[in-house]
Amino acid sequence: MKRIINCETGEVIDRPLNQAELAQQEIDKTNYEAAKAIADAEAEAKAEAKAAAQAKLAALGLTIDDLTALGL
Amino acid sequence: MAKQTFTTGQVLTAAQMTSLQQTAMLGGDASVKVASYTLVAADAGTTVAMNSASTTTITVNTGLFAAGDTVFIQNRGAGVCTVTAGTATVASAGSLALPQNDAGILYFTSTSAATFYDFIQVGATSPLTTKGDLYGFSTSDQRIPIGANNTVLTADSTESLGLKWATASSGGMTLISETVASALSSLSFSSLGSHKQLILAYAGIRHSTTGSTFGIRLNNNSSANVYVTQQIGGSHTGSFSGNAQGDSQDSLLNGNQASWPFGENVTFSGVQTDCHGYIVIDNYASSTRTKTFTAVFGYYDNTAGAYKFKNFVGYFNSTTAITSLDIFRNSGSATFTNQGNTSIRLYGVS
Repeated sequence: MKRIINCETGEVIDRPLNQAELAQQEIDKTNYEAAKAIADAEAEAKAEAKAAAQAKLAALGLTIDDLTALGL
Repeated sequence: MAKQTFTTGQVLTAAQMTSLQQTAMLGGDASVKVASYTLVAADAGTTVAMNSASTTTITVNTGLFAAGDTVFIQNRGAGVCTVTAGTATVASAGSLALPQNDAGILYFTSTSAATFYDFIQVGATSPLTTKGDLYGFSTSDQRIPIGANNTVLTADSTESLGLKWATASSGGMTLISETVASALSSLSFSSLGSHKQLILAYAGIRHSTTGSTFGIRLNNNSSANVYVTQQIGGSHTGSFSGNAQGDSQDSLLNGNQASWPFGENVTFSGVQTDCHGYIVIDNYASSTRTKTFTAVFGYYDNTAGAYKFKNFVGYFNSTTAITSLDIFRNSGSATFTNQGNTSIRLYGVS
């Protein structure tokens, strides 16, 4: 349901979304999902890179606490 | 019947009794005058009726009437008839001036003094004539005419009635509209008027289900890069352009930070977890410049299990005057509803 308030007259209309608004809603949804997929992929890549770096540190016998102690 | 001195054994006729009865009831024959008149002794107990289009007087002199005598005085004519103290004194709590169709009783308290009881006392008739008139006062009751639209009543001692209608002082905040959302997927404020700033303030927004996000658009504009935002306190040091942190692509405050002024997954049932915040839009009615905005809002994302609070500044990258503000669903299928004692309010600042 969409509510439209005419602030000049005070008229309030509650009505279902029309075809154009439903179409825009679909576009918004598509754009949102695309942007979210990119953001999720970036977050996943970042997490994977972090895990890989931690694995390399572990192979060297180091931990994140060691890096922190070095001021890195 | 005029005042009589009855004698022992006198017999009254039926006509005399009828006349006497009428006189006692303020009826009976009237002595009609068409010009100013001075009362005489024979007027005691009678009706004197003035009927003149001109201003007239009825004069009252001393030594003609006894204490307890009365004269019923009417004015039938268009001209005002004034009961006037000649050599006698005439007291009155009201007016001695009788407009057309007014009347009164002149009652003598002594041979030289009378009191006039005006049937229509001053103040008994309303001075108001027009829709919206107010009752005012200076030295008498008076009409304060209704003022022009949108003016306000203001005290002013220099005015004859101490009040005037004046233009409301500018600089205030006006509640343009307030609504309580109930299962809405979209809300649009249109015809926003012409103020210097808009402030949208809200609280208690809760979604019907998780999986949805709600944003704001101006002029329902969904063009890419039309909303340029940056989170206050963020690490970005560049200008409000390009791919700065928090930049928006297709909806207000909808950018890399996934910030939703009307919430995302806001389904947790708690006052503190409902979506709340405000947005200030400056110079929104301008058709020559872009419009800056500032937004502060927060909510509990029930899917992420995290509170999210956002402070943003930005601008609407369009010189078109903003005539509508839309809250819209960007994803999912939820609706939003105001919880108890909350609302969505739009203010204009002048």
